[in-house]
Amino acid sequence: MQSTSLCALCRGTKYLCGKSRCPVLVRYYSQEKIKPLLNKLLIEGASPPSVFIGRQGYPKVSIGPLIPPVMGDTSFIDTPEQWINHSLDEIVDFRSMLIRGTHTVNIYDVESPDRIVQLTRELALSKNSVFTEAFFQKKPRGRIVFSDEVQPYGPSAPIKKFDISNPKYDHRIEKAFYDTDLKARDAVLTLYENGVEVSKIQRAFSVGAFGTKKYRRFVPTRWSITAVDSNIGEYLMSQTKTAEWINEYRVYYLNQYDNRWIILMIPYAWQYELIEAWYPNTTWNPYGSNIAIFNSYEFYNGRKTYAEIGGCYYAARLAVNETLTRERRQAAAVVMREAHPGYILPIGVWNVRESVRKALSSEPYRFDTIGEALDIVRQKMDIPVERWIKNSAVLKNLLQQKRLEDFLRIT
Amino acid sequence: MSFNAKIKAEILKTLIEVTSPLVSEVKLNIGKDGISLRAVDPAHVAMVDLQLNKEAFEEYQADEMELGIDIDRLNAIMRLSSTGDIVSLEYDEKNNRLIVKVGNLTRKMALIDTAGMPDPKMPTLDLPGKVILKASEITKGVKASESISDHLALIVTDDAFEVFAEGDTDIVNLKLPKDSLVELESDGKYKSLFSIDYLNNMIKPLKGDIPITIKVGNDNPTRVEFDIAESKGHVIYLLAPRIESE
Repeated sequence: MQSTSLCALCRGTKYLCGKSRCPVLVRYYSQEKIKPLLNKLLIEGASPPSVFIGRQGYPKVSIGPLIPPVMGDTSFIDTPEQWINHSLDEIVDFRSMLIRGTHTVNIYDVESPDRIVQLTRELALSKNSVFTEAFFQKKPRGRIVFSDEVQPYGPSAPIKKFDISNPKYDHRIEKAFYDTDLKARDAVLTLYENGVEVSKIQRAFSVGAFGTKKYRRFVPTRWSITAVDSNIGEYLMSQTKTAEWINEYRVYYLNQYDNRWIILMIPYAWQYELIEAWYPNTTWNPYGSNIAIFNSYEFYNGRKTYAEIGGCYYAARLAVNETLTRERRQAAAVVMREAHPGYILPIGVWNVRESVRKALSSEPYRFDTIGEALDIVRQKMDIPVERWIKNSAVLKNLLQQKRLEDFLRIT
Repeated sequence: MSFNAKIKAEILKTLIEVTSPLVSEVKLNIGKDGISLRAVDPAHVAMVDLQLNKEAFEEYQADEMELGIDIDRLNAIMRLSSTGDIVSLEYDEKNNRLIVKVGNLTRKMALIDTAGMPDPKMPTLDLPGKVILKASEITKGVKASESISDHLALIVTDDAFEVFAEGDTDIVNLKLPKDSLVELESDGKYKSLFSIDYLNNMIKPLKGDIPITIKVGNDNPTRVEFDIAESKGHVIYLLAPRIESE
């Protein structure tokens, strides 16, 4: 957040923080809309369905439903796959309606007879919106929560009593749920292959719906997002890595929420890198006066440590591999993200996955040489291409690493 | 067609260690006098060429043939062997399997079709700088460099061999004057840059103080050679350079 004095001076009128809109006001207006909800100990509504598993206090975490004060089909509110064509404000608006009920449990207690545990799990496996009512111990408090990994959600309160009407299960998820010999990874991959949306798999994963019986447990929402992204990505990668190389240089471009995305695909053995450049005054570079650039990468043999850059690395890697697997092709991929001041609030890792998916569904620029491809980077991005290269392990490696056949003499 | 051999576990492990960082499948060329393999990594940056004479085996009897090996599978059973174990290898023509026995443990390993597997050509290279040194020295140089950079320079002059790496703030330099080398042959200064990732894979199978030969040119691949299996086998490793650009 901005320093308080700056905001007091500005009061949403002068944009002293450098962002293109005032994040305090965006939060305020959303907060205003939900104010009437905060004064009640009872909330009734159709949960999209949605649940949240916190990470604080692990292995004692707070689990529970997310409930909006509206009826009907609310599934859209928890299906990030459908959000990419909506504005930041709309997303903040509908997500901030979600009141989070909390209930502290041990992550191992997935089979507990505790009713709140049971209903939270049932809710997570449902395919349709479910009528839900929750009595809280005290009035919901807190502001809208924004984070880099999870989608925003509204105020929260500890649950006293909780009930839901009959959920309908997605039979594919239900099957994996009842198969207590099926490993979690295999469950995730099978569901993905059967066309279940990534967000649905993640939701069920977080309530310990998959895996061999003794290994089932609650998984904090943000960890389950990355676990699913990473596992599916790795699975697709195993196919990508044996496929034929693409036969041209490609540049995909998208400007989304004032994030400029370029995905550069290079005819080469699989390598992958995500480079993020944060302008001063964007979410993750609030105090800096310089652009901050971070990268994480892997060469053909993959990496053994968690990506420095976090969950977005795995979300973008999944999207890249989806495209390559569909085409049965292999490539080296560099994802570049330039976050400009219009990106005023973090909205979750889904934004990375869906933005890269959207960019990759557009028609790319195609070239025969890396030089022409880098010219597009030069045109579309503000940061000079030389600086991208300097901060890129994959590009440096590709531009500088020779191949053995460069030394084969024709005799 | 038959192939029947017994070999010390550690020699077979060396073969796996040399090959597995580059490829997951390899074609073993079985001959009357021994076996050989040649593999190039998917990025075409490194090549390994390995020869194992029949004298390296405890017993050896073979017809000429090719065996397509999945290295992960072979490694899975070899991991369970100990130093001193004798491993028996037998080709089961009927089921197209390699029967691997370590003590009382048997794995009947499915073989891979070798039809689509490449026969990489070895480039002929003119590399005028040549040194022979102890394996532990080059290992030291690479290990010291990896914490500060992703590439290093191998330099041969007429009186020394050097490993040089430069990071954002730090510099690593290993300088071995002629008298601390086993051998040095060079009429001038030769220098090329190499990826430390690849060098790390290359030095992994090097043990102790065995002599290794390194040849260097200017912005040319390096050729590294060493003996395995008590000089009854030989490994050649080629690594393409990185070219510094501004």
